[in-house]
Amino acid sequence: MIELPVLDDSPELADQPRNRFWRSISHLEGSSEFKQMNAGEFLPGASDGPVTEGTGGATRRQFIQLMGASMAMAGLTACRKPVETIVPYVRQPEDRVEGVPVRYATSMPFRGVLHPLLVESFDGRPTKVEGNPDHPDSHGATHLFEQASILSLYDPDRLGSVRNGGTASDWASFRTFVSSLPTSSRVLVIAEPTSSMTMAVVRRQMGQRFDSVRWVDYHGAVGNNAAQGVRAAYGRSARVSHDLSAAKVILSLDADLFASTGPDPVTASAGFAAGRDPESMGGMNRLYVVESGYSITGGMADHRLRMKSSEIASFAAALAAELGAWSGDTGVHGSHAWIAELAADLRSAGLNALVVAGDNQPAGVHALVAAINDQLGAVGTTVTYLDTNESAADAAADLDAAVADMAAGRVDVVLTLGSNPVYDHPAFAAAYASVEHRIHLSSYLDETAVEATWVVPEAHYLEAWSDGTSRSGIPGVVQPLIAPLYADAHSDIEMVGLFATGTDMPGYEMVRATWRSQLSGSFENAWRKVVHDGFAAGDGFSAARMSLSASGVRAAMEGVDLSAGADVEVVITPDAKLYDGRFANNAWLQELPDPTTKVVWDNVAQMNPATAEKLGLGAKLNAGKYFADVVRLDAAGHSVDLPVWIQPGMADGSIHVTLGYGRQIVSERPERNTSFFDLDDYTDVYGKGAISTGVGVNTAVLAVSGPIAPVSASKASEGYLVASTQDHGAIDAPHVGEEVKSRGLFRMATVEEYRANPDFVKGGEPAPLKEDWEDYPTLWEANHPKDSQEIMSSNYHSNQWGMVIDLNTCTGCNACVVACQAENNIQVVGKDEVARGREMHWLRLDRYFVSGDGSSYEDPQMVIQPMPCQHCENAPCEQVCPVAATVHSPDGTNQMIYNRCIGTRYCANNCPYKVRRFNFFNWTKTLPDTLHMASNPNVTVRSRGVMEKCSFCIQRIRGANKVANVENRELKDGEVVTACQQVCPANAITFGNLSDPDSAVSRRRQSDRRYELLAELNVKPRVSYLGRVRNPNPNLA
Amino acid sequence: MSTASTDKTLAHLADFHDEAPLVKGNLTFHDITEIVSSHTEKKTPFAWYGAFSLALAGLMLLVGMIAYLFWNGTGVWGLNNPVGWGYAIVNFVFWVGIGHAGTLISAILFLFRQQWRTAINRSAEAMTIFAVICALVFPTIHVGRVWAIYWTLPLPNQMNMWPQFKSPLLWDVFAVSTYFTVSLVFWYIGLVPDLASMRDRAKGKLRKLVLGVASMGWTGANRHWRNYEKAYLLLAALATPLVLSVHSVVSFDFAVSIVPGWHTTIFPPYFVAGAIFSGFAMVVTLLVIARKIYGVENIITVDHLEKMNIIILLTGTMVGFAYITEFFIAWYSGVQYEQYAFVNRMFGPYAWAYWTMMSCNLFFPQFFWFKKLRRNITFMFIISIFVNIGMWFERFVITVTSLHRDYLPSSWDYYTPTAVDVLTFVGTFGLFFTLFLLFLRFMPMVAVAEVKGIMPEADPHFYDHEGDGHHAEHAVEPSTQQ
Repeated sequence: MIELPVLDDSPELADQPRNRFWRSISHLEGSSEFKQMNAGEFLPGASDGPVTEGTGGATRRQFIQLMGASMAMAGLTACRKPVETIVPYVRQPEDRVEGVPVRYATSMPFRGVLHPLLVESFDGRPTKVEGNPDHPDSHGATHLFEQASILSLYDPDRLGSVRNGGTASDWASFRTFVSSLPTSSRVLVIAEPTSSMTMAVVRRQMGQRFDSVRWVDYHGAVGNNAAQGVRAAYGRSARVSHDLSAAKVILSLDADLFASTGPDPVTASAGFAAGRDPESMGGMNRLYVVESGYSITGGMADHRLRMKSSEIASFAAALAAELGAWSGDTGVHGSHAWIAELAADLRSAGLNALVVAGDNQPAGVHALVAAINDQLGAVGTTVTYLDTNESAADAAADLDAAVADMAAGRVDVVLTLGSNPVYDHPAFAAAYASVEHRIHLSSYLDETAVEATWVVPEAHYLEAWSDGTSRSGIPGVVQPLIAPLYADAHSDIEMVGLFATGTDMPGYEMVRATWRSQLSGSFENAWRKVVHDGFAAGDGFSAARMSLSASGVRAAMEGVDLSAGADVEVVITPDAKLYDGRFANNAWLQELPDPTTKVVWDNVAQMNPATAEKLGLGAKLNAGKYFADVVRLDAAGHSVDLPVWIQPGMADGSIHVTLGYGRQIVSERPERNTSFFDLDDYTDVYGKGAISTGVGVNTAVLAVSGPIAPVSASKASEGYLVASTQDHGAIDAPHVGEEVKSRGLFRMATVEEYRANPDFVKGGEPAPLKEDWEDYPTLWEANHPKDSQEIMSSNYHSNQWGMVIDLNTCTGCNACVVACQAENNIQVVGKDEVARGREMHWLRLDRYFVSGDGSSYEDPQMVIQPMPCQHCENAPCEQVCPVAATVHSPDGTNQMIYNRCIGTRYCANNCPYKVRRFNFFNWTKTLPDTLHMASNPNVTVRSRGVMEKCSFCIQRIRGANKVANVENRELKDGEVVTACQQVCPANAITFGNLSDPDSAVSRRRQSDRRYELLAELNVKPRVSYLGRVRNPNPNLA
Repeated sequence: MSTASTDKTLAHLADFHDEAPLVKGNLTFHDITEIVSSHTEKKTPFAWYGAFSLALAGLMLLVGMIAYLFWNGTGVWGLNNPVGWGYAIVNFVFWVGIGHAGTLISAILFLFRQQWRTAINRSAEAMTIFAVICALVFPTIHVGRVWAIYWTLPLPNQMNMWPQFKSPLLWDVFAVSTYFTVSLVFWYIGLVPDLASMRDRAKGKLRKLVLGVASMGWTGANRHWRNYEKAYLLLAALATPLVLSVHSVVSFDFAVSIVPGWHTTIFPPYFVAGAIFSGFAMVVTLLVIARKIYGVENIITVDHLEKMNIIILLTGTMVGFAYITEFFIAWYSGVQYEQYAFVNRMFGPYAWAYWTMMSCNLFFPQFFWFKKLRRNITFMFIISIFVNIGMWFERFVITVTSLHRDYLPSSWDYYTPTAVDVLTFVGTFGLFFTLFLLFLRFMPMVAVAEVKGIMPEADPHFYDHEGDGHHAEHAVEPSTQQ
C-alpha cells in the first residue's frame, strides 16, 4: 500500500520555509502535548483499553472482547432498569449500542395463561416478537396474536388518559376517588381469568378492604365449555393438555387445533408435525376431523367428515358407545358409517389415540370425549390433566347472576378488567347503567367505556410488569420493554392494587414482592435470572389424579340434544384474526386473510353452495369483485345481517359466523378529509376514526344461548362487496382445481402411493417436460452474471441461500404472514384496495380446493401452499427491469433496490409466481406517528411507486454476516432464521445455505418429496416444496 | 386539335402511367398550389375554432388527468397485482401502431415508387408524428416514480449505473425515440419546398419571416432539388427499417417475457402488420373528413382511398391469420399454460374483448373484397372506425387477458379501468387532434411539390407529340386531360 503523507503527520515541517497548514498553535509549535495527543487516532481515553498489569495495557481488540463479554454478562440482567421515568441518554450505557437491537424475555398474557416471548427492542422501542426458544411451552415459535400484539402497543386509538363521566381526567383524581370509596361498597369485579400470582395476592387484599367483593370470571362469548366438561366428567377442575406428538390416531370433533383460536395451537402444530414425517420409521399419525365448517385442521385431515355442529354430540356418543365409554342414547348418528372403523382405529392406537372436542361443543361432549380418552387409555400419554388449583365455574351462569344483581341494585361498584361485556353480552348494558360507579380498565374508549363512569387506560403487556404461569404451569414474568406510552396507563394488577390499598401500587414492586416468597436462595440473583430467562425453572403443573365419574358424564350429557339438528344452524366461533374482538383495532389482523376464506376486513356468514341455494342466497362475481347477498340470521331472539360467503366443503345446513367484528371504538383523532384532487383521505386506513369501527357486524348476540344455535336465515339485501385476497377472478372452483392439478402446483399422494413410488412428485411435472429441467442451460449461460468476478470474489458468495417448505406440516395458520409483516414493515392498504387486488403481503398462503381422487366438488380437500418470493437463480424479473433495480446478490438472493426502482411493474408482470407487490399509493405518508415506532429500522420503508417483495429477510442475513465477520468466521448453519421460519409452530420452513451439504436445508432438499414450483420454466427457484403425503385409513376409503 | 392526336396522347399517357391519372378535375399546377395553400392563408373559419376548442378541451383533460395521477400515484388507475400493465401500455401500443402508416407511406411506398402516395403522405406523416407524441406520453406517465424516469437513459453518472440493456423496455426507449426523430426529420425535409411556395405567396410580415426561416432559403434551384431528392431518398432508406423495427421492438415488450400469451415469436411481424393496419385505418378516418372539408377531393381521390382500403384488407387478413396461428401454435406446442391462456382469451372473462377484436379486425375488413364497398366513402369510414376500435382491443386483449390469469390460479384477478384510465385515453385524442388541427390550419396538408411531380405535366416528355423527345409547340393543353 502506498503511504500518503498526512497533513498532520510531520510537525517538523515547521523548520522548512514552505507554506504549511496547521490546526492550532500547539500544532504549529510542535508542542509535546500536541504530539502526545496526535499519537493516537482518538483523544486519550476515547479508545484506549484499561491498562492491565503484566501486559502493560490492552489492545483495542482485547478491549472490544472485554466489552463483548461484559455485554453478554450484562445480558443476564437484561431487564429494563426499574426507573419510573425515561430520559434520553446523556452518556451511553455500557450495555447499549445504538442501532443494535436487544432482546428481552417477557410473556404475553392471553386467554388466562402466559405466552413466553422474546421481544426485540431497538433503542428502547420494541419492534418484533418471537417465541422464547428456551421455554418448554414455546418451541421458539408463536402464533399470530403474539406477532400482531406489537402493533396494538402503538395503536393510535389507544386511550391516553383517565376519563370520568365522559371527559378527560387524570390518574390522581381516580386514585382519590378509589381511596374515598367506602369499605361498605358492594364491589363486583368482572375480569378475564388470569394466571397472575400477583393478581391473586392483591385480589385477596382487595377482598379484605371491602366488605363485599365478588369476582366473575369472564369469558365473553367464547365460553369455557371445555373446562366445564372436564369438571363434569371427573368431578374436579383440571386443565386439559394434549400431546399430539405422542398421538398416532387423532380425532377432532369440531376442534380447530391449529388455528389461532385453538386452545394451544403452537404446541398442537408442533406435535402434529412431529408425527407427520412419512419417512420416519414409526409411520405417520392419522387425523380424522368431524366438523361443520372448513377449518385449517380439516384441511390437514386424512379423513374429514362434514357434519352439523349440533349433531356432533350424537356422533361422539355413538363413538363412545362403540368404544364402551357410553351406555346412553346415541341419537341420530348412532349408526354412522364411520363409527365402527373409527373406533377400531382409535382402539388399535390405544394409549396413542387422542380425541379432542372443539370449544363450541357443549360441556357434555367434552365430558364424553374425556370418557373416550379415558377408555382408550390415552390419559397420561396424549392427554394430560394439569392440576391448576382453579375451579372452572359456569362462566355464563355466573355472569348472568351478576347482571341480575346489577339490575337489582345490589352492586355499588363494578370494575371490568380486560373484558368488554357491553360489546359481547347483549343484556349487560341495561343492568350496567343501574350501578352507581362503573369503572372500566381498557386500552380503548370502547363499548363498555362509553357507558362507564370512570375509564382507565390499560397498559399494554409490553408496558407493565406482571407475572403468571404458562399453559403447562411454568411461572414466568411479564417484563415491560417500554414505559407506558400514555402516563395514565396502568396494568390490571396496579388497578386492583389501588382498590386493595387506596394508594398507588407500582406493578414492579408488587410483582417482586410476590416473587420474593417464591424464589429460594439469594432473591436478587434468582430474580434477575427469572427476569432474564422470562420464566422460573421448574416443571409446571403436576398431572392431576383424575378418576372418571360415569354419572358425571351422564349428567353433563343430560341437556345435550342428540336428535337431528335444526334445518339450519349457526355456529359462532371466535375469529381467527380478531379473536373475540380484542384485536379488532389491529390493522395487521384486520387485513390478514382468513386462513380458509381469505376474506379480509369483514366477517361473513359462511355456508356451502347447497345451503346457500336452499336459502336462496348467493353471490355475484362482477369484474373480479365478490358481491354477496346479505343474510339475516335470527337466533335466540336476536338478528344479525351478514354477507354470505360460499365456502365449499361445509356441512349442509351449517352457517358459520365469527365474533370480534362490529366494534365501536371511539377515536379522538380527527377524521381526515382532503380536497377532491387528493386521495390521502382514501389511502389513510387510519383516517376515518378507529379502524375497527364500522368493520363487520357484532355477532355476539347470536351466541347468548350458546355457540351453536338453530337459526332462521333469510335474504336481507344484496350486492355487499366482500374483499378477499384470493378468488378475485375465479369463483369457479372445479375448473381452478383442475388447473392446479394439471399444472403440478400442489403435489400430493397417500402414504401408500408414496411408499410404492417415492418419486411421486416427479409425476406431477406438467406434461411436455418430463426431462430433468436442471439440465437445461439458461438463456444467459455463457455470460451469466453469477460467474462474474464481482460475484465470485464476494465474501457473501460462500453462502447460497435457499428454502424448503414442507407442505406436509404446514397447516396454513397464518402466523408466518403476520410475522413477515411485522419484520418487514409491510403496510396495510384497507378493504377497498384489497378488493382491487393490491394487498401488500410478501408471503401469501395460497389455498386451493381439490376435488377428484375420492373427494367431490361438494366435499373437496383443501390444501395450503405458502408462497414467498422464490428467489429464482434465473430470475425473470431481473431480465426485464430497464434500470437494474432488481438484481441478484452474490449469496444468491433476488434483491429489490428500492431507491433505484422507477416502478415500471414489468418485473411483476414477468414473475410467474406473482409475488411482487407494488406501492400504488404512498402508504406511509398518512401513517399516524405512533405506528412509525413499530417499524423495523433495519428494513426500508417503501415509498410510493416502487416494487417490493420477499427478501429472504436480507436484513437478518446481513446482521448475521456482520457478526460472523467481526468474529472472523463463516456463518454457522441455523444462524440466519427468516421471520416466517422462526414463527412457524410446525417447523415447516427450513432456510439455510445450499452450498453447505450438511446444512439443514441441503439435507431437506435431499428428500424425494422435493419439487420446485413451475420448474419447467427453467427459472431455477431457490425455494423447494416437499410434496404432501396423506395417511388415509385404507378401510375407510 | 385533331381527335387522332388526342387519342394518341392519351394512349401515350396510359403507357406512361399505366393507370388512370391520380389527380382529377383537370387541375393545373397552379390550381394545386392554390387549393392547398389557400387553407393556410384564408381567414380562420369558425368551424375550425369550434373543432379546435373541443380538441383543446381534450388536451386539458389529459393534462388534468396526468396531474391527478402524479399527485396521487399509479393507484388512481385500475391496475392490480397480476395486471401490472393496463390502459397505459395498451394506449401506448395503440398510438405507436397508428404512427406506422405515415412513415410507411412516405418511406416504403416511396422506395417502391408508388406514386399515389403523394396525395396522402403529408397528412399521414403528420398523423404519425402526432400519434407517436401521444404514444410517448404513456410510457412516461405509467412508471411509479416519474421523477426518476431519466434513469432509463444511458446518462453518465457518478454511480456508474447504466440502464439494464437486457430489458425490452429500454429497447423501446431507443426504438421509439429514434423512430420519432427520423419521422420528424423526414416530414420536415418533405415540407421545405412547400413551405417555400407558401413563403413566396405570404402577405404578412411575420408570416414571411417565419416561413422564410422554416423554408431554409429554398429557391427551387436545380441544385436544391438535387440535394433535396438525395436527402429524401436517404431518409426514406433510413426510415424503412425503422418502420419494421419500432413495432417489432414494441412487441418484444411482450414476446421476451415468460407470460403465457405474451411469449410468442410471431409477435414482431404480427405487430408490424397490425400497426400498418391500424395506421391506414386512421389515415382513412382522418382523410375522409379532411378531404371533404378542405375540398381536396380531386387530389385525395377515391382511388387513393381505395388503395388504402386494399392495404387494410391485406393487413387485416394478415393480422387475422396471426391470431389463428397463435391458437394453432398454442395447441401444437403442448404447453398447457399457453393453451389455457388462449382458451381463456376466447371463452374467459374477457371473451367480450376478444370477440370485439376478432370481428373488428378480421371479419369486418373482409367487406373490402367488394370493389363497390371499398369505394364507398361512408362505408369505408365506418369500417375504418371499427378497425381502430378493433386494434385498440387487440392490444387490450394481449396485455390484459394474458396477465390476468397466468401461472398460479391463486393470483388470478380481473382488471377494470377507472375513470382516470378512460379519460386519460380520451385526453390523448385531445392532444392528437389539437396538433392535427394546428397542422391543417398552418401547414400544407398535401405535399404540393410531390403531387405536381407525379402529374403528367411533370413528365419532361409530356409535351412530346412526335416521340422525338422535344417540346412541341402544339402541346396538349392540360385542360384536355381526363
